[in-house]
Amino acid sequence: MTWQLTTLDPRTKLIIVLCLSSLAVFCQNIYLLLLVLLLTLIVVKLTGGELGQLFSKFKKFIKVFLAVIVIQSIFTNEGQVLLQVMQIKLLTDVGLLRGLQTVLRFLIVIAAAVVMTTANSRDIIQGLIQWKVPYELAFMVTIAIRFLPLLQEEATDTLTALQLRGVNLKKIPILKRLRTYSYLLMPLLTSVLIKARDLSVAMEMRAFRAYPQRTSLRELHFARIDYFVIVLSMLLFQLLLWAALVLS
Amino acid sequence: MISLKDVSFYYKRGKPIFEHLNLEIPSKLITFIVGPNGGGKTTLGKLMAGILKPQSGVVLVDSLNTKTVPLAELGAKVGYLFQEPERQIFAATVRDEIGFVLSLRDKPQGEIATIVDAVLEQFQLTHLAAVSPLKLSRGEKQRLAIAAIMVNQPQFFILDEPTTGLDRERIDILSGVIEDLQQRGIGMAIISHDQSFVRRHAQQVITVAGGEIVDVAAYHP
Ligand SMILES: Nc1ncnc2c1ncn2[C@@H]1O[C@H](COP(=O)(O)OP(=O)(O)OP(=O)(O)O)[C@@H](O)[C@H]1O
Ligand SMILES: [Mg+2]
Repeated sequence: MTWQLTTLDPRTKLIIVLCLSSLAVFCQNIYLLLLVLLLTLIVVKLTGGELGQLFSKFKKFIKVFLAVIVIQSIFTNEGQVLLQVMQIKLLTDVGLLRGLQTVLRFLIVIAAAVVMTTANSRDIIQGLIQWKVPYELAFMVTIAIRFLPLLQEEATDTLTALQLRGVNLKKIPILKRLRTYSYLLMPLLTSVLIKARDLSVAMEMRAFRAYPQRTSLRELHFARIDYFVIVLSMLLFQLLLWAALVLS
Repeated sequence: MISLKDVSFYYKRGKPIFEHLNLEIPSKLITFIVGPNGGGKTTLGKLMAGILKPQSGVVLVDSLNTKTVPLAELGAKVGYLFQEPERQIFAATVRDEIGFVLSLRDKPQGEIATIVDAVLEQFQLTHLAAVSPLKLSRGEKQRLAIAAIMVNQPQFFILDEPTTGLDRERIDILSGVIEDLQQRGIGMAIISHDQSFVRRHAQQVITVAGGEIVDVAAYHP
């Protein structure tokens, strides 16, 4: 058995992701959350996801994370004050703890999502169908997944175009910035609508849903490694869930 | 002048598009960039405008390093027309599309109106001022995109395949715009597959293929 699990069945990946994200929700304990995050990162690595990309994604969220911690501190009126500006408690130990919890949960969910991107989108549909999810639903899910990176690329292009027009986002006062964002929304919305229209025409042309029953050429089969991984995930899930209960 | 010095660029590590590229684009001339699909023309254009940054080497736009200067400042020097004009259309009317950038920069309304009117006139868009940009034809969208860039008075333009999807008549209109810009002392780099368009305007032709500059030729029409 090799440790490169890139060829796992998409359903196996889905199960792992579900386990990890439910753990992110149930666990309260910081150390336990850290452990789950570590596990998630290992899974990302083993399934062939790119850790480098993931970390650069994390970096983009740093400001949000700091904001979460401060907000938690301001609104939880308990704990020792670590940092205070005038009458406002900017950082308390309880706030810090709760903030860290939220941040870790975020990180786990983001990392777990990366695991799904390592699966081919056709395989994901096929997996869902073999789980008796209606085809239309499965199809919509994969389209969403498929179009997300495209949209992201377009968003960066649009943002670049706006800046090239001489709009320096960093120098615009906050109120005006909102107006600026509304200008960004316009090209994105139109492109989404145009894509949706084109796609639906293309699907009609290929007789999508002409027959209620579909047959597929490709069928997914669990390999031995899939069973092994699923059982292992379930066991770990139980164990961690139990730990979460005991520690809470 | 835009100069690339020892520039290397890749989208994905291990798959370089350009390696140790050296190139100078004169600021007053019309330079065409030609070559096969996937040869790296768009990538080169984006590097020149500072939209993409090289992983090593430097790109200088009038001696400003594109890596350190904010895009907003580069935009005042170089206007860039994307291959898909839809990506750079932001506002609900043609008039607002041209003017909104100025109003975000706190120019007085009166001044904005004067500038916008002049630009509308110059690009023959006056009759469309109140129309939604999305309802325009492809050629009109493109003219609008160029017009909207003009309010920043850049001294150089980079146009990515401006003739795609235009009929002969629209190409003639575009040619008129290009000649007009050149008379105002504005230089251009134009990416194009259109042979006759190249012959009509080129003063210098750069051929890009497989991430290399295969040929630089002066052109005398
Ligand atoms: N965003 C991107 N991510 C990864 N690779 C890219 C990206 N954009 C372009 N490439 C690759 O870089 C190479 C050069 O592409 P580029 O778009 O610069 O070519 P081009 O000369 O403009 O082609 P065309 O004539 O079709 O417009 C191609 O092999 C292309 O696959
Ligand atoms: Mg191109």
